[in-house]
Amino acid sequence: MSGGFEAIRPPGRLQGLRTWWTMLKISLEERLVYRGDFVLGTLMRFLPIVTQVFLWTAVFSATNRGDIAGYSRNDIVAYYLLTMLTRAFSSMPGLATSIARSVRDGSVKKFLIQPVDYVSFLLAARVAHKLVYYAVAVVPFGAVFLLCRGYFPPPPPDATTIAAFLLSLALSFLLGFFMEATLGMLGFWFMEVSSIVFGYMLVQYLLSGHMFPIDLLAGVPTGLAGVSLADVVHWLPFEYTAYFSAAVWLGKVQGTQLAWSLGIEAAWVVVMAVACRVAWRRGTRRYSAFGG
Amino acid sequence: MNRYLAILLTFARACLVRDMTFRANFLLECVTSLGWMSMNLAFYLLVFTYTAEIGKGTGWSKEPFFAFVATGLIINSIVQAFFMPSAEELTEMVRTGGLDAVLVQPLDAQFLVSMHRIDFSSFANGAVGVGLLAWAVSRMDHAPPPVAWALYPLLIVCGVAILYGLVIMLAAATILMGRNQSLYDFWFYLTNFSRYPAEIYSGPWGGPLRMICTFVIPILLVVNVPARVIAQPFTGESWGGVAAAVIAAAASLVVSRIVFQRALARYRSASS
Amino acid sequence: MHNTDPNAAAAVADPVIEVEGLAKEYRVFDKPEGLAASVRALFHRTSRAVEAVKGVDLVVGRGEFVALLGPNGAGKTTLLKLLSGIITPTRGTARVLGHVPWERADDFRRRFALVMGQRNQLWWDLPAAESFRLHQEIYRIDPARFEKTRNALVDMLDVRRLILQPVRELSLGERMKLELVAALLHEPEVLFLDEPTIGLDVVAQHTIHEFLRDVQRRRRMTVVLTTHYMKDVAALCERVVVITRGDVLYDGSLAEIVDRFTTHKIVTLDFDEAPERALIERFGFPCEFRGPQVVLRIDRSRIADVLPEVLAAAGIRDVSVEDVPLEEIVAELFRSDTRAHAAAEAGS
Repeated sequence: MSGGFEAIRPPGRLQGLRTWWTMLKISLEERLVYRGDFVLGTLMRFLPIVTQVFLWTAVFSATNRGDIAGYSRNDIVAYYLLTMLTRAFSSMPGLATSIARSVRDGSVKKFLIQPVDYVSFLLAARVAHKLVYYAVAVVPFGAVFLLCRGYFPPPPPDATTIAAFLLSLALSFLLGFFMEATLGMLGFWFMEVSSIVFGYMLVQYLLSGHMFPIDLLAGVPTGLAGVSLADVVHWLPFEYTAYFSAAVWLGKVQGTQLAWSLGIEAAWVVVMAVACRVAWRRGTRRYSAFGG
Repeated sequence: MNRYLAILLTFARACLVRDMTFRANFLLECVTSLGWMSMNLAFYLLVFTYTAEIGKGTGWSKEPFFAFVATGLIINSIVQAFFMPSAEELTEMVRTGGLDAVLVQPLDAQFLVSMHRIDFSSFANGAVGVGLLAWAVSRMDHAPPPVAWALYPLLIVCGVAILYGLVIMLAAATILMGRNQSLYDFWFYLTNFSRYPAEIYSGPWGGPLRMICTFVIPILLVVNVPARVIAQPFTGESWGGVAAAVIAAAASLVVSRIVFQRALARYRSASS
Repeated sequence: MHNTDPNAAAAVADPVIEVEGLAKEYRVFDKPEGLAASVRALFHRTSRAVEAVKGVDLVVGRGEFVALLGPNGAGKTTLLKLLSGIITPTRGTARVLGHVPWERADDFRRRFALVMGQRNQLWWDLPAAESFRLHQEIYRIDPARFEKTRNALVDMLDVRRLILQPVRELSLGERMKLELVAALLHEPEVLFLDEPTIGLDVVAQHTIHEFLRDVQRRRRMTVVLTTHYMKDVAALCERVVVITRGDVLYDGSLAEIVDRFTTHKIVTLDFDEAPERALIERFGFPCEFRGPQVVLRIDRSRIADVLPEVLAAAGIRDVSVEDVPLEEIVAELFRSDTRAHAAAEAGS
């Protein structure tokens, strides 16, 4: 990928686009070289779901209720599968650590010298990376979803829901990107961000709904009268990177609530984008002041 | 044998010195692994607010289930502390040729490859596991008989041995292929199956899966057998599980040893 | 084009390393470039065999100091790896100290050492003393003897104060010295050195030369060394084995290689002031003018006839006659082999 960095010249739109295209092609080639690893790796990522499904099946068999927090057993299976899909959009493997590394080893310098915007560059690279990922991952994903289509509730969602679902996916990509990028920019202030990243991953895993549907937290009190933990989580950015899109598809969020939630998600995207930009400005100023 | 113990102690001492040199990092590692663990415990607590049992009539109600989780914590912390850091480093050693230095030393290569690095921070989880086990067992309806207490440590060792065999086979694959990123993911996903009681794997898909994970890759015996012995009523049938775990542990050690030796014979060494 | 004396094996009195027809073949997969090729490679991967070492014969006697020379990728390091048992050969036999190396018997591994200049074998975050202690355990060195050997080696290299410092804080040269100490603690009978002086400054190189020469003589150790620095060779080795493309091209003494492969002598003339070019050029040898100094390359066969005539030129202040530098000879040797190979390829 370092070749991609070098290739960026003072941009004209066309030049920028061409660079991006080259980047896309290189990362596709990279993927194809390791395609065996890749397909296997993607399929393996579904394995934890298998255990989760069995765990929930066992839980349902032992309780007499037909649903838990509004989810039937099939809903739960469908939920976990959908979070895999949303994670494919919102997760940014290695983004934060690579930004922090480029700060630490000084390779970020060239973005201070060249007339290229670092954040835009990273975003373009990530889009290319994701596109390539989808191009190859569509095979294992398609196979799993086809095999498991029986778990999805029978009437397919209406057009509005599908539109909201797609919108939430796109927003989750941006949200995931700006959150991780901001995290990586902390490298300007801290030498070692890996533990911060790990802490973030923990919180993210728990509160994004990756581990279980956030609705399960509706019964957990926060101490404030009438406010459950789930209510608090709805106002945090995390659930929009996994739980939310899945809940939209399953029809758990509808009407004004859906509009509200999309609004919160969009607001978080803006907040994180600004935070990322500010962190970059301040960070680079600090960096040049201290001489890296 | 004495010499190997002495060398292991030297490794342990060196790793401890190193950990203490980078104290802050060491503490962070403890904290993060404890954080990860407590998150999982919180999830199980949440699940038990919706059900009294994992699987109908399986006997895995709250306290026995937490005894199960504690057993898993203990076994995994041993594996994580002694074998995983070395095995993970193996990729780097194969890539840079560091394995060459291992091979010229008059010492069993498998020993060096799997035990030269000890991660003391992993014992934090094990300590919590022991505490959790004591808590869970004291609150169970039935107290484990002495024979269960006697068998428990042995079965923990068997569980560790089964996982160790798997680590060594992954190491062998690393030596043959030169890289192994998805192999270690595979390790993570595979051991994932051992995290829950075997009873949950039932039905047309679960049954065969349970068979495979018991007899082909005996991953389900790792935690289940010791956990059953301590957390479920001890009956004559329990001996079957004990025998299976002992046999699986022995087989795992032998097979992995053979595979590893074969891999070493085909080692290519990185060009310099 | 083997220059190996067929009687060489018999001539070696106490053979420590005996190699016959040793060959190592690697299978490499072609990594296609370009998108279309990558897609094609999805369905069909092409591989081919590469022979890193092909049929090497070599005998080294006890106490010899042998240099393995060759261009990058010639198979020197592969040969060292075969001899130290790291990799298993495709064909051929080898015995080192009476053992088949790749059987990796403990008894064998206790009696030799391998040092690789590009790789760090000491514990990175800890003082070298800890690594030495580990060596003592691994090689089962008697404690009293260990102390004695370690102290002697450490003093010879003057690194006593370094062994208590974490290795990562040391310079490359200091690290290399400690690597050598570690490798020699168990008093190996055979030492394999893979580019031990790579990246070191002149002073460190010199110290290491002195040290190696000293230890080798004292212990009558057998040493095989690969290097790209002719200084190493000139300082240490009487015997040189040149390897190109996995094959032994030359095996003999260092003096002989100079004798056999040099066609010229380098004659340097110092004048009082810059001489007239025509005066020198009339001899018809390639020459180079550097102000008052002139460097001539004169055919060895004609040097006796020509030199008096050259010296008769007016105004000469000083003169020196030297062999072509070793680097140049070896480079020429590698090149001529490549040319011969290319010609053979074209002819076949």
